[in-house]
Formats: sequence, C-alpha cells, structure tokens
Amino acid sequence: MKIAFTSTGVSWDSMIDARFGRTEYILIYDDETQQLTAVNNSSVKNEAHGAGTATAQKIYELKPNVLITGNGPGENASRAIKQLNMKIYIDAQEMSIKQAYAHFKNGKLKEIKI
Amino acid sequence: MNEIVILSGKGGTGKTSITAALAVMAGKDAVTADCDVDAADLYLLLKPDFSKTIEFYSGELAVINQDLCTRCNKCADVCRFKAITYVVNHYQISTLDCERCGYCEKICPTRAITMQERKSGNVYISKTKFGSIMVHAMLDVGAANSGKLVAKVKNEAKQIATSKKKHFILIDGSPGIGCPVVSSLSGANYVVLVTEPTLSGLHDLKRIYAVIKHFQIKAGCIINKYDINKEQTIEIQKFLCGEQIDHLADIPYNPSFSKAMVEGKAIVEIESPLKHVMEEIWTSIKERTN
Repeated sequence: MKIAFTSTGVSWDSMIDARFGRTEYILIYDDETQQLTAVNNSSVKNEAHGAGTATAQKIYELKPNVLITGNGPGENASRAIKQLNMKIYIDAQEMSIKQAYAHFKNGKLKEIKI
Repeated sequence: MNEIVILSGKGGTGKTSITAALAVMAGKDAVTADCDVDAADLYLLLKPDFSKTIEFYSGELAVINQDLCTRCNKCADVCRFKAITYVVNHYQISTLDCERCGYCEKICPTRAITMQERKSGNVYISKTKFGSIMVHAMLDVGAANSGKLVAKVKNEAKQIATSKKKHFILIDGSPGIGCPVVSSLSGANYVVLVTEPTLSGLHDLKRIYAVIKHFQIKAGCIINKYDINKEQTIEIQKFLCGEQIDHLADIPYNPSFSKAMVEGKAIVEIESPLKHVMEEIWTSIKERTN
C-alpha cells in the first residue's frame, strides 16, 4: 500500500503541510518496501493560480492508495482525484509524518468522501 | 494558536472594518494578516509602519534581448494584446499590456524573447499603531492578487505568530470564492463571515459557505446593518440555523462606522453604541475557538 502525505519537509519528523495545493513536499511511504520517498512540489507552490489542480495531477501520477493531509483538497482538485479511488484523511496539520502515520494505523484520522 | 479568517463572499459588507476592530481588541496577542491584497486597505485603520519590505515575484513577463533581435516583427504580428510595438528602431513590450501568454517567445526565430519572472509587489512586516504585528502587501500597478501571494502573507504571519507564541492570527480575506480565498482558508481554525441583509449578501454568503463547508471548517456569521432590511435578515438567520453556522451577532446600522473610518480609526477606538457589540463579538469568537 502506498500512502501519500502533504509535508513541510522530507523526513518522518517533518510536519504535515496543512495545504494541499501549495504543499512543500509530497511524501510517499510504501509499506511493502518500507521506503519513504519525497517529491518536491516547489514548482507548483510557485504557480500564481491553479496550484490545487497541479498537485492533483502529481498525486494522480503517483497513484497512492491513501492521502493524509490538512484541510484537504479543494473542489477542483477533489474532482480531479476522485477517479483514483484513494482514501483521503484530513486534519493532520498539527502532527509530524510519524504521528500522522501512527494515527492512521490506529484509525484515528478523519476520513472524507469526495 | 488559532487562525481566524474573516470572509464575506460579497464585497462591501464591512469585513475589513470588523477585522480592524478585532485586531484592536486582540491587541498584541494577535498577528494580523491582510490577505485582501487587491483592496488592501486594512492599513488605513491600523496604521502599520512598513518596517520590513520583502519583494514579491509572481508570474512572468516577456523581455526582449535587443542584441539578438533581428527586427523581423513576428512577435508584434502574433501578439493579440498589442503589447509589442516598434519604437525608434527597436521593439518594446508594454508591461501593462503583456498577458504573459508566451506566444512571442515561441515564435521568435532568434530566441531574443524570454519569459522572465516578474516583480508584482511588496510584502511588508509592520508594527501597527497598537504595537501588534501586521503582515500585508501592496501590488504594483497592473499586478493581480494570487493564491501564491496570499500564501506568502499567511506564511509570514504564521511564522511570526509561532515564534512569538501568539494566540491568534487574524486574516482579512478577499471577497469572492476564487483562488486567493481558498488560499486564505488553508490552515484556518475558524471563519468569521460578515454579511449584510441584501439579496446579494445572502446569495454570496451561500456561495462562500459552500467552500468553507467543503473544507469542514467551523464558521460563525455577523449580520452587519441588520436593521436596514429586517425581512432579509430573517432569511439569513434561517440559512444560518439550517447550516448550523454560529450566529455571532447582528450589528445595527450606525453612522459611527463611517465616522471612525474617516478618522482613520477602528470602530472600537471611538465612543459609540457599537463598541460593546464589538466587544461581545470578540468574546464570543474567543469562546468558540478555545
């Protein structure tokens, strides 16, 4: 299973980025290989407009099974990533990646349907 | 720390006047961020000192390298915005007319034209007349507000609030429901909606609330000038009730709002019947965000 996090940094200790569209990084954790990889999202962050849909495009290419983020994707981005059948969990902005993953494992994160 | 965003959907409902009042009442415990950068007028009431300036770059602008230009006129031919003109032996690009489409860069046979990052304004970190910190921005002529600029203003405010352990960030958002508004909402704990009892007031309140609901952020609403149309006020109250939006207050119409504005003051700085109404609103917001 691949889990995507919107993150302010590249490690397990980094904080979740509350933003979806303008997140600093997208971190992907593959629990089969136990690898954590970082995708730099700064090119999208510097777009004046349309950041949400541009990040949705990236998520689409990464095809994770789960997304853990802060506020959650906006309306346009939601429409774009709906096709992925990915589970989306929100309100993790006060947590580190490590904490957010533990909360997810324990079923403590809030899931949203888009 | 609580991030409170003040929004209205419709412009002109009193959003900025109310933000200024909240900023005065919150005092040094809040960092205020003016994210309504297209009409950044919170500074008129809070009188920030513009002490630190950060240049802001966003979008691109076509620039001609005159040494490479062969004066073939192709760029001027394809520019549908008529931004490229031939003046005294060379082509020049009007920064006001260029819409940054990049067609001229593509068509130039000698690659004399490149798209370069454009400075679109300044972000300021200031001290207000009350000694609180305010982050705000000013756009250059012809530049537009964007989600990127709002994110910049908000991030600066957030960093300061975190490092100085402030309890509140007060964010004055843009009217409408576009990119800058969505950007101002991210990370927010509570939204204060300011509306007025008019048809468009309610219509735009419904539109902005649909966006807030999508992000599942708790919201409260202030009906400003509620007594100018009591029937419409009832319609708004019904909507608030149906959506379980906190009904924070009804503010009566009172000329002291304009009086305070003319004096360059927030409404709570002058003696008026509205002073205690505003104080009750702030108490109520604090209770709901704690």
